[in-house]
Amino acid sequence: MKFLRVNLTDQSIHWEKCSEPYSGLGGRALTSTMINREVEPTTDALGADNKLIFAPGYFAGTPLINTSRLSIGAKSPLTGGIKESNVGGTVAFSLARLGIAAIIIEGQATEGTCFLLSIDDNDAASLLPASELKGMRTYQLVRRLQQRFGTDTSITCTGPAGDALLLSASIQSTDLDGRPCRAAGRGGLGAVMGAKGLKALIVNTKGTVPVAIADQDGFKKAAKAYGAAVLADEFSGEILPKLGTAALVEPINAAGAFPTNNARFGQFEGVEKISGETMARVITERGGKTTHKGCSQCIINCSNDFVTPEGDYVTSSLEYETIWAMGGMIGNDDLDAIARLDFLCDDIGLDTINTGNALAVAFDAGYAPFGDSRTAIRLVEEVAEGTEMGRLIGNGPDAVGAHFNHPRVPTVKGQGMSAYDPRAIQGMAVTYATTPMGMDHTAGWVVDQNLEAFGGTVDAHGAEGQVEISRATQIHMAAVDSVGICDFAQSGLAGDEGIKNVYTMMSARSGKPFSKDDWSALGEKVIRAELEFNRKAGLTSQDDRLPLLFYNEPLPPYNVVVKVTDEQLDSTFEFLKH
Amino acid sequence: MKVRVKLQGTLPDHYQGTYPETGLEIESGTTMSVADLVARIGIAEKKVALVSINGRLARPDDLVPDGAVVKFLQQLSGG
Repeated sequence: MKFLRVNLTDQSIHWEKCSEPYSGLGGRALTSTMINREVEPTTDALGADNKLIFAPGYFAGTPLINTSRLSIGAKSPLTGGIKESNVGGTVAFSLARLGIAAIIIEGQATEGTCFLLSIDDNDAASLLPASELKGMRTYQLVRRLQQRFGTDTSITCTGPAGDALLLSASIQSTDLDGRPCRAAGRGGLGAVMGAKGLKALIVNTKGTVPVAIADQDGFKKAAKAYGAAVLADEFSGEILPKLGTAALVEPINAAGAFPTNNARFGQFEGVEKISGETMARVITERGGKTTHKGCSQCIINCSNDFVTPEGDYVTSSLEYETIWAMGGMIGNDDLDAIARLDFLCDDIGLDTINTGNALAVAFDAGYAPFGDSRTAIRLVEEVAEGTEMGRLIGNGPDAVGAHFNHPRVPTVKGQGMSAYDPRAIQGMAVTYATTPMGMDHTAGWVVDQNLEAFGGTVDAHGAEGQVEISRATQIHMAAVDSVGICDFAQSGLAGDEGIKNVYTMMSARSGKPFSKDDWSALGEKVIRAELEFNRKAGLTSQDDRLPLLFYNEPLPPYNVVVKVTDEQLDSTFEFLKH
Repeated sequence: MKVRVKLQGTLPDHYQGTYPETGLEIESGTTMSVADLVARIGIAEKKVALVSINGRLARPDDLVPDGAVVKFLQQLSGG
């Protein structure tokens, strides 16, 4: 495997052999290790000295299913700390099959200019001037690039939000149908890409370089068992293909953990209008697709195509987090408006979660009534237009809260909350506060372990046991993000036999023994590097705190507040800070 | 007593034609617990992970009040 280093300051391109200390690392392990070693923590996240790293997971390009995750890492302009945000689609698989373990973007193009980075199937990488594309929306951009470079390409790009250096800017990537609807949404990495002056990464999808696997037969056998377990599981084998991740809407609402009207309530009155069940029925009635393959190597097909009543494409894929962010969080029960907002965010290059939070704070501050979807759509359009209000929304909930002098801002380290209220599921309070990533559910999703009905063993409304659960899950997820297995294929590694298959594949891929302890060590190594970077960047334990509203405002209907103490939060990763 | 049962997720696929989207109205001469209700409508227990009564989480031994809307939901994972 090799690295591609690209410097936008002088437009130089270098291939490097993958070597120590990065050998054997992929995904988040590679991006976080590299950022921690090569980026000065106090540097300007939008300056020339930050680096933007694209790294497929360690299993990308192998026969294992659902491993098309691309980790994107940098210092985040949103959190001020280290960031890894990962995305599906086709790019990770394509890079892996070109033998590329990472692309490292350095330097900065002259202000007002931008470039395309094209990699063909003969290892020819080139930087091409593209200033005329700056500010272009992603769907138009991708159509134009496909005309120029062909459709056998995976395109990863910024939209107007990233080009304008807005803090909620995402990096969008194309799905199997060539649409830029997959997002590395979190942390404002689109602004880093925009600041570098890189408009798009165009990767040929026809690479044929086999990923080196020391024990092919051993790997294939374990991969086959893994895939069978994913298909046999009710959630990944039956529910996700039918309803997608939107299947979570009703259960999380029932748990009173569906943040509504800027987290004033834990249940949304209009939930049945935006549930996964309703979404699937609407899509089916209109002739859209409820079962859709969005990512290379996927066997779950949890994606969907949401269409208008006339059957015209609106967006893909409408998912749980967006349905919440653009639905319950802003009091909006209009599924068509949610779908429109999802499309706009993809087209403009915005994180739907942070943008939904920003809208919610604006509505909570009195800018518009909750449920006003027309205003929500207009405000997101204004992000692309660059109006004053649009820039505020595009810069996220903290910016909106500061503008309106409104204290109810649900962020940690500047990043907006996800679709699980930490008062009703207190394990998420620990994850939100202590992950080096800022408020983020994927860092350590412990909802199942908090709900008795899902096999949970702790009281969701209490503090006891939450640190231990979150810590273990965060370490596990850091390893999962490094090998690049999709979150929704984790049914394959559930249970002793499932995770053993992962250890077997790690060993078969590397040719070295791999055990449960090595898995934990991998996760701990990643988080240790991230904590070290954040500490050097100036973040302290005071940044590992939830906003006061979660402690002071009992959340209906169960009327609970966060009970996890600061001392408990600080104990979560104390052992990794030395 | 009379209650309305709604099947969520893919449960309706397994009981197609039996349980309409608007829910199935169940009548009983005696008070029922959640477990009684599951047995009454004939859904495999392992298929139902989470039950809500009028929007609140319920346990198997909770009694179902007259006029309640009961939702049966499935096991989920997330992210």
